[in-house]
Amino acid sequence: MKRRRMNQVPLFSSAGELANMLVTSNLIEAAWAKIPELQRGQSALPSSVQTMVDHPTPKCTIVVFAPSPDSTQDALSQGGDLVPYPKFDFLCTKGCPSVSINRAALTLFTPLYDHLSGLKDELNKREGQLIITGQSLGGSIASLFTLFLLSSMDKESKCRPICITFGSPLIGNFGLQHSHWNSFFLHLVSDKDPLPTLFLPSGRSAPTSSHSQATAYKPFGTYLLCSELGCACFDDPDFIFKFLTVASSEVAGGLQVVVDYGEILRNLKYRAICKGPRLVGERLTDPFSAGIVMELKTIGIDPAKHNIDIGRMEKDARDLTWKTNKASEAKKLNDRKINMVWLEWYRKKAEDVKKDYYDCFRNERFNIEAKIQWHMEDLTTYWEDMVAEAERKPQKEGASFRTGWLQAGTTYRRMVEPLDIAVFYKDGGRDYINSERSQHYKLLEQWYEEAAKPPTSEELDSKKQKVSVLLTEDSCFWAHVEEAILSCKSLTNANSTPELRESSWNNLVKFGEYVMEQIENYAVSPEIFLKDSCFMTWWGEYKVYIASPSNPCSLRFIQFIDFMKTGRYGVYGRSEVP
Amino acid sequence: MGETVGNLIGLNDEVIHPAATLAVEAHNSPSKQFLVKKIKIRHDLSSVVVFAFSGSMLPKDWSGQPTFAKTEIATGEFRSLTSLNDGGDAVVNGSFLRRFKDVIGNLSKAKELKEATEKKRQVVFAGYSSGGPIAILATLYFLEKQTPSPRCLTFGSPLVGDRIFGHALRREGWSDYFTHFVMKYDIIPRIMLSPSSTEHEQILDYFKSKFDRKNINPAPPSGFYLTVMGNASSVASYEACHLMGCRNPSLDIIKSFIELSPYRPSGTYVFCTGNGNLVVVKNPNAVLQILVHCAELGESNTAEVEKRSLDEHSAYLSELKDCLGMQAVVSLDGGPATATLNDLGLSPQAMLCLQAAEEFENRRSRNLEKIRKYLEKIEVELEMMRKYKENAQISRLGYYDSFKLQNEDDDFHANVSRLELAGMWDEIKEMLKEFELPDDFEKKREIIDLGTKYRRLVEPLDIANFYRHSKDKETGAYVIGGGPRPKRYRFIQRWLEHDEKKPFGSRSESLFWADVEQLGIDIKKKGYLQEIEERIQQVERNLIAWIGDRSLDDDVLLENSTFVKWWRDLPPQHKPKSDRIEKLIGEMSERVTQGTKI
Repeated sequence: MKRRRMNQVPLFSSAGELANMLVTSNLIEAAWAKIPELQRGQSALPSSVQTMVDHPTPKCTIVVFAPSPDSTQDALSQGGDLVPYPKFDFLCTKGCPSVSINRAALTLFTPLYDHLSGLKDELNKREGQLIITGQSLGGSIASLFTLFLLSSMDKESKCRPICITFGSPLIGNFGLQHSHWNSFFLHLVSDKDPLPTLFLPSGRSAPTSSHSQATAYKPFGTYLLCSELGCACFDDPDFIFKFLTVASSEVAGGLQVVVDYGEILRNLKYRAICKGPRLVGERLTDPFSAGIVMELKTIGIDPAKHNIDIGRMEKDARDLTWKTNKASEAKKLNDRKINMVWLEWYRKKAEDVKKDYYDCFRNERFNIEAKIQWHMEDLTTYWEDMVAEAERKPQKEGASFRTGWLQAGTTYRRMVEPLDIAVFYKDGGRDYINSERSQHYKLLEQWYEEAAKPPTSEELDSKKQKVSVLLTEDSCFWAHVEEAILSCKSLTNANSTPELRESSWNNLVKFGEYVMEQIENYAVSPEIFLKDSCFMTWWGEYKVYIASPSNPCSLRFIQFIDFMKTGRYGVYGRSEVP
Repeated sequence: MGETVGNLIGLNDEVIHPAATLAVEAHNSPSKQFLVKKIKIRHDLSSVVVFAFSGSMLPKDWSGQPTFAKTEIATGEFRSLTSLNDGGDAVVNGSFLRRFKDVIGNLSKAKELKEATEKKRQVVFAGYSSGGPIAILATLYFLEKQTPSPRCLTFGSPLVGDRIFGHALRREGWSDYFTHFVMKYDIIPRIMLSPSSTEHEQILDYFKSKFDRKNINPAPPSGFYLTVMGNASSVASYEACHLMGCRNPSLDIIKSFIELSPYRPSGTYVFCTGNGNLVVVKNPNAVLQILVHCAELGESNTAEVEKRSLDEHSAYLSELKDCLGMQAVVSLDGGPATATLNDLGLSPQAMLCLQAAEEFENRRSRNLEKIRKYLEKIEVELEMMRKYKENAQISRLGYYDSFKLQNEDDDFHANVSRLELAGMWDEIKEMLKEFELPDDFEKKREIIDLGTKYRRLVEPLDIANFYRHSKDKETGAYVIGGGPRPKRYRFIQRWLEHDEKKPFGSRSESLFWADVEQLGIDIKKKGYLQEIEERIQQVERNLIAWIGDRSLDDDVLLENSTFVKWWRDLPPQHKPKSDRIEKLIGEMSERVTQGTKI
């Protein structure tokens, strides 16, 4: 066993305590109590899946799903392969671009879809606790229904769901590790229950499921793993997979065995107030190892025999502890504010000398650009992380996660990206947008566009009033300017081929249209018109070129050129625009 | 080793057994609210006066609505029993509180108490079983009154207060005045970790008939142990999850589905192991874990342990007689001593919980060390801010307005300082909210002083920033209920108010600028109303008071400041203008003129 380093603070594993808290509370019992009741009442009824909605107290609703034994056997015989199910594509993440669901679960779920849609809407309106539960495939339906419900819940919803399943098989290929939704699922699995391990490679897979598909299953939520000796909670999908694999090789009995989780709960509850057996001889030098080894042995896992890497588990726990510290989180957020203040200040310094900050930065006018760049790097690291995190979440949840900070992210993009562009072109780069632009900027922009509504006339009006203090909306504006400068150069360069001339010419016409559109929407800061800005430098050259007799095309009707030539830009951004 | 209980809890050993005897006697004398006895200490001939309270085994005196008879207590006589951050007020068992209130009138008037105070005798409030909660609340009552500190001794007492209750006790430095003796299996000290139920009633009924008819042994109930200890175990595991730094996000969801008892131990606990050894524990988290784990089922069968859990509630006198004279006492704090824990019969898992409880305290100490380093940085930043403020006065504008304009590099640097400071204080704030700093942090003189200095110097800049960006349009005024005002300032203000024993909200001098700005906006928006006039007069009164006690700096009176301009521009309806303020502005102007001349 590895000794922990001296400077590291001791860590603990709380898998056993969390499980203990669960089994000694009445939550799981309350969920379980309804299942045998529904299962018993079933035979008389023809429907293949029984649904029961019960209100034990005014503030608590319990929804139970119980498929009849026949339909369960029927569904299971369909096999354990994964079927694409686009209706659940709201669970897609970067790592899982399309969602597939276990065929047996779908066989039962699909016919219920319309009915459940109605139930979902009804429950969504309710306030208070909502327990959704079921055993074996009933639990699979409960999980699917809970996901369905979560996907339609908004922030205002006062409904607080939890899904508790008993001995349910794995459901699909999607993971929820980076999703808040993960915390709504609690799966009880006994090491004596053959069902949860059914679709695993070593399990009694139904004939149609292939090995590669079986390994594509991903557990999600928290698993309460139990044995005769006790129980422990885990939420690491790899470990859960491992447990199921080990259990599947050791479990006895056919699929007909229905495990009585009521009896299991009674035993666990009793165990919880007993002094546990002495499972570890060596004592407490490293509390994490001592704890986790006890927990693993309780649920029948021998770290050595089953090849469990305790060191890695400890490292993961340590990383997570570090990552979820609220105090340092607050500090981090504040540090980013400081970074932004520096950039704002730089922009103001430029304004004080009547220059635009793009130009100042490109030409390093204040000799503090290195320091500014340092702040930019901090910001970029931070926002790259935020974007990556949003991408790891299921689409739907990612979108609501973003709304909280998209505004700040947009300000960051508009403030920092121009400076990245400045560095890029200064170093002789070409075609920033297609060759260099960072993915996180693209996504920030895409999400902003998705969320943005066309401005009302009032909003446009207020933008008009404030345009002088706003940031240029298109963070790639300066890349367009730089490209226009390059096009202008190609145009005037005697060595350019006619093709190059033509494409350059077209680019410039397009650029003019683009700038005019920005101006009409009050989307560019008036600072672009400041004397000596890159934009005005470009205009100077372009103006000369289009005025020269060698210019073959007529430009009289181009609005942009008119706007520039008549000097109307001089009053752009003041309250009145002629 | 080698210490007696008395040494460890700071009370003469000779007092403990007589106090226990009196407590048991009082408990069974329902006709009298309390009994009093003077105990002479042999070696120095001083006297200790013990008050012991009667008990009741009626279910209505133990439970009530809402569940757990939860009652917020921080009012009037118990003003300290609150969290100074967002934790809210302490919760106590309302039925116990009611019984205390029935007693306190007569207790306050008791001539023995008056006499003890006059003769400077140590007062001890003692209680056995349901007399314990009254003793605890009475002790607190007199601690709040700042009379000579009484002591509290309880024997087999149920739990009285929640986590905030214990936190407040430790913050005020009162925790050491409370000592609770608990037998290893006694069910009563654990009973409040479980909601009231038929099992509760069974237990109370049993004791009631036992105490009422002393000679007849009633048939003990059975089947309650699993329920009561199951619930207690749930509480202990939930707390253990926190101590162990559980990061499973389901924990919060699960917690929202189950209602755990809010009650937690506080004060010093003395566990009687049953074999003559006593274990003294002060760490409240460790106490809870021991309370639950040492009563777990071992080799003996459930029925045996269940019977013992009832019998031991009546065993305090004999148990204490045996072990008080001996020096076989171990203090657990400062590291688990394995030998003693063997006496308590703790399982390996329980040992891990204790280690986690200890590590939690270590973490708090480490955090305090980290914050101590911040304090130096804060001093440096504040010194820079002070200079900034001083320089700004030269322009006759004041730093508030200078900052609001953000024209100079100095303003920018002040802004960076403002944010650096905010970062450090916000980190402190987060730690406090999570109880990640020692309980007495908010009571430390240097912290309150530095916080107050920070609040008075820097909050005006936060207000300037707020109104500079017209943030009131998005969020409403700077100061409204739980509004945009950063919590760090609310907390710091509360520390000072608590320290000065002033009502919440009375120390809001750092909000002066927000009042002025908001009034300016409201006058423009709503016109000149009676309500506005009242607010103006309040601002004027505040200004005079705060300038008077120097909690507000007189640079608000600079000729070009937002305040003076606003005040001079007040509509003619606002009459009479305060001469006092006119005079203050004049004096300030003179001072600046002289100052610049020099």
